[in-house]
Amino acid sequence: MLRVVVAALAGLTLTAQAYAADVPTEIKIGTLYASSGRFASISMPVYSSLKLWADLKNADGGVYVKAFDKKLPVKVVAYDDQSNTATAATLYNQLITQDKVDLLVADSGSVLTAPAVTIARDHKMFLFDQTGTGASFFSKDNPYIALMADPVSTIWPKPAADFVIHDGPALGIKKIAILYSTNEFTGTQANAFRKFIKDSGVPVEIVYDQGVPTETTNYTVIINNINNTHPDAVFTFGYAPNDIAFLRNVADVGVKFKMLFVIYAGLEKELLEKNVGDKGLEHVFTYVPPSDMEYPVNFGMNLPTYKAAWDKKYSDGKLEFGLNAVAGYTTGLVIEKALSVATSLDQMELRRAVFSLSGNLKTLCGPFALDETGGQIGELTPLGQLEPDGHGHLKFVSIYPHETATGKPVYPRP
Amino acid sequence: MPSALKHTLFIALPVLVIFAALPGVYQNHLLLFNFVIFLILAQGVNIIYGFTGYLPFGYVGFFGAGAYGFAVLVMHLHAPAIPAVLAAGLVGVVLGLLLTPLLRLSGAYFAIANLAASLAVLHLIANPALEQITRGPYGVSLSATFNPTYAYAAALVVLALTLGSVVFLKNSRSGLALQAVREDAVSASMAGVNVVRMRVIAWLASALVAGLAGGVYAWYVSVFYPDNVFSGEFSIFAIVFALFGGVASITGPIVGVVILYGIYNLIGFTTPQYFQLIYGLLIIGLVLFLPAGLVSLATRRGWHVP
Repeated sequence: MLRVVVAALAGLTLTAQAYAADVPTEIKIGTLYASSGRFASISMPVYSSLKLWADLKNADGGVYVKAFDKKLPVKVVAYDDQSNTATAATLYNQLITQDKVDLLVADSGSVLTAPAVTIARDHKMFLFDQTGTGASFFSKDNPYIALMADPVSTIWPKPAADFVIHDGPALGIKKIAILYSTNEFTGTQANAFRKFIKDSGVPVEIVYDQGVPTETTNYTVIINNINNTHPDAVFTFGYAPNDIAFLRNVADVGVKFKMLFVIYAGLEKELLEKNVGDKGLEHVFTYVPPSDMEYPVNFGMNLPTYKAAWDKKYSDGKLEFGLNAVAGYTTGLVIEKALSVATSLDQMELRRAVFSLSGNLKTLCGPFALDETGGQIGELTPLGQLEPDGHGHLKFVSIYPHETATGKPVYPRP
Repeated sequence: MPSALKHTLFIALPVLVIFAALPGVYQNHLLLFNFVIFLILAQGVNIIYGFTGYLPFGYVGFFGAGAYGFAVLVMHLHAPAIPAVLAAGLVGVVLGLLLTPLLRLSGAYFAIANLAASLAVLHLIANPALEQITRGPYGVSLSATFNPTYAYAAALVVLALTLGSVVFLKNSRSGLALQAVREDAVSASMAGVNVVRMRVIAWLASALVAGLAGGVYAWYVSVFYPDNVFSGEFSIFAIVFALFGGVASITGPIVGVVILYGIYNLIGFTTPQYFQLIYGLLIIGLVLFLPAGLVSLATRRGWHVP
């Protein structure tokens, strides 16, 4: 009997030791950021907000990991890819093969996410895609990816298109112009927008439809060409530098379009205000980002609390507070929630855990919902308009969808 | 022993054997793959710049065109990877032929015109009007051919061909003729060298190398945008690596890639915050003290460097 008890105790001790050996001391999250180069302006806010989440969690003792039934600190292992995709590819591989991170998080934007998609799939690593909205990333044969904080490009412009389809005819919008920069992010949005309009059958004519290189910095001739087609609404899809140049040129030329939509007036409002000025942004239509719209949350901080935490940590004002400044935090929340329900750190189990959050998680980015390929379809940004707030600044007025609207559109632009 | 055989046995073969063996001991295969790609591109720059004096700032144009040549064949003709890589090389050669008139220029004019040509190719491929053919700016996804192991092996084969070409140039009358053209085209012509033909051959060989490299790169990465494969950094890195080691030699570009790309990754993995500072100082030091590359340290002392 004594032998049996001793054997059982020895067995229990060994099991406990084995379990202790299996429990990691921390959860390693591998990611990249671009401190320089053309993607630095979108990458650094995303990375900084992911770091903010990690710091806050570690100050609180870590995140609860169901697989080990205990709280563990998170360690963000990050490398600087300098906006170079070949370097990014090497560094993603380094994170997986040498650092052996538990979770892989992509850098910001589609171009720097692209190398990670293949590498993650090759290594059977689930990729937490922060803001890489490229439609080509998501397919039924690739289970190793999900988009965290932005809508997939093919659905992102739906609120803007729906506004034209449903409210446009009553406002007198019959002719529209589309101008876009020829890159994946803005080109796909333009394609999707055009398709939504055409498929709707609404009597709206596209009188101008042109793609220009992303490097374009002078739009003077283009603006005159658009103006000559007498559009009732102009939709431009460009990156922040494109939008800045376009809006400055609109002011220079002295053209007043009845309705003008640009992407980054909303997504990076602070940046645009600095470079275009409030006057140039008045009555401009844009997306209302989650950094300027308070969504009800069931997990994590709400927008005012998060903004206070952001301002406290990054008080030097070097980082603009916009869409990207909430994207990394949202990724952190999805990771945290997934770890709290995943029964192991197996990558397919992590995928199952992330997909189980679809339709159930509400963060400051809005309702988290994934389609079957991992594309984000829940966090749609409403269409809004920038209006003077009466105190010398601009405020967002949400226009469409009507359920989230906070005002009526000012059309035509005064 | 003939010097060509010596160079093959003691330089080219060890490089190939080392890079064939490394995946067995080092897990970051993509890093090794990038080393191989930059070895190919640096030797490609060596062929055109080292042996003819034409500095190809837009060298990435051939690389990107090769990558898209591979992608188009796989997407539309469902071609297997190896014929698609060969087609990528052919695309590089065809583009080289189209750009042959650039060889009328020289010095900075050639460099700038070549850069402009590569941008033109980028914008042609990224044009949304060609979406049905190239997928325009929306990127390609080539999951049908995705096979990193075979792509790495193919890159080694391309590297072997490239090193073989450089060994040939270094040890043949053709290579000597090219160097004569680089030093003084008129004198070379007077000595019976067909200057135009020699320059075109070197130009097309260089384009072929970059096109093949682009093809295997597309095979390996499989998801990419025009911005990825036409990134000017491919040209800049290949040129800097070749110059750092020393051009018109077999070992120079190899030494340049191994040291400079090695340091690049070492800094990137350890102290990325000092990356620009350290890398910038290295390149300034090179330009100031070793304008002819590292191999000049040996040649100054009268040592022969192959």
